[in-house]
Amino acid sequence: MDVQSLIASPAEGSPPVSLSFVGVVRFLHITPRAFLPMRAMPAITLVAGRGIEGDRYMLGREEGFYSDRPEEGRQITLFEIETLEALRRDAGIDLRPEDHRRNVTVEGVPLNHLVGRRFRLGETLLEATRLSVPCRHIEEITGKAIFDPLINRSGLNCRILSGGEVRVGDLVQNL
Amino acid sequence: MPPRNVRTVVTTRIPAGRDVVAFVLQDPDGWELPPFRPGAHVDLYLPGGLVRTYSLVNAPAVNDRYMIAVKREAAGRGGSRLLCDAIEAGDEIGVGLPRGGLRLGPEPQVFIAGGIGVTPFLSAASALLRAGRSDFMLHVIARGAPPLANLISPLVAAGVARIHDTRAAPRPSLDAFLAPHAGQASASCCGPQALVTGFEAATAHWPAHRVHVERFVAPPMTPPPDARSYRLVLARSGEEIEVEAGASMLDKLTAHGIAIPHSCCGGICGLCKVGWIEGEPLHRDRSLSPDERRKSLLACVALSAGPRLIVDL
Repeated sequence: MDVQSLIASPAEGSPPVSLSFVGVVRFLHITPRAFLPMRAMPAITLVAGRGIEGDRYMLGREEGFYSDRPEEGRQITLFEIETLEALRRDAGIDLRPEDHRRNVTVEGVPLNHLVGRRFRLGETLLEATRLSVPCRHIEEITGKAIFDPLINRSGLNCRILSGGEVRVGDLVQNL
Repeated sequence: MPPRNVRTVVTTRIPAGRDVVAFVLQDPDGWELPPFRPGAHVDLYLPGGLVRTYSLVNAPAVNDRYMIAVKREAAGRGGSRLLCDAIEAGDEIGVGLPRGGLRLGPEPQVFIAGGIGVTPFLSAASALLRAGRSDFMLHVIARGAPPLANLISPLVAAGVARIHDTRAAPRPSLDAFLAPHAGQASASCCGPQALVTGFEAATAHWPAHRVHVERFVAPPMTPPPDARSYRLVLARSGEEIEVEAGASMLDKLTAHGIAIPHSCCGGICGLCKVGWIEGEPLHRDRSLSPDERRKSLLACVALSAGPRLIVDL
């Protein structure tokens, strides 16, 4: 864990408006290749600057659906469990945590507000680079019409500034 | 280009009857494969650009493999010959996502298979037995020993399958298989066209939702109601491409070797934006402004309202 980055410049790289939250990691998922089912993990290992051990988008591995367009800011992806609840409530769509194909399902974290900010995922430090965009690929895999309902709430792409192990139940916090 | 299919390795190749070879395909790391319904089928992407469709033989619960059985058709188009003659354990094969399959309701099931058409029903039988059900009967009609006999014989022993060898005795009528169950069971058939035709006649008076025929072709794409076929003209190269009603312009361009960057394929990300010069595009995207639409379209979702559309490519 890169403690120095916490102490030295907590606000560096973050927009000036403060944002406070304490959320929790509810599910962790990885898969080694495009199209394969996501597997639930009790813990995952984040490698700074590269990605998640064993996941398709680990930089250098390049086995994801979008790996033909490597993206330095897509080392790990997050998704709000509240979106799954909203899909069920508002659209009658049963989308499970392993279906959305992001790595980390969190509760109580305002992901859309984090673009450009740094935050703590367990002991690791992430920087949110951009919102994830839904894709038809996920409809192809799940067989569910979820493209439209996921517009603007399809999760968050992040760069890993400081790696380490993340476990289900870990806290997600602003700096 | 993004990967278009699931990367698998042939982990087992075994003879499974006269002119039949069974293959087990697995992820290189033994990861679970995309899920499927009993008797679903997959497209295999073979060397030389051949794409062939085969039913999955294994039960969906055995989720780390796709087992297929291929009958070598000497006079076929070449896919089965390639698989049976040239594909060995250790070879890599790309596989499309599973499609179709049987929706097994709570009612009793009658399965009628001709020869290698037994494959989807072995998957279904296995799934039903795993669910504790034995209220089904698999009739396998074959000339001589059936393919995959070692998988069928335990079902025969369990009283849920019968083999009808047409060399030993005339084929029983399909009515004999079906009549006792009319009214309460669902019936499914897979096999040569003559058998399927006979099955359709024998079940013509059954409710449609309780009759299923397994054909080895993709379900037809339903084009949007405003779709029409048109000629796509590439202004710079002069090339002209026929686009069928509802077909994807992006796919057509890709198939013609024109690489268009793309990502969401749903008209949002804008990566596949292409300029258009003449014609009347039906845009259907969710991201271009009215101004942008006057000169651009998104190739992943755009159709044409007229017979001819000229794009700046």
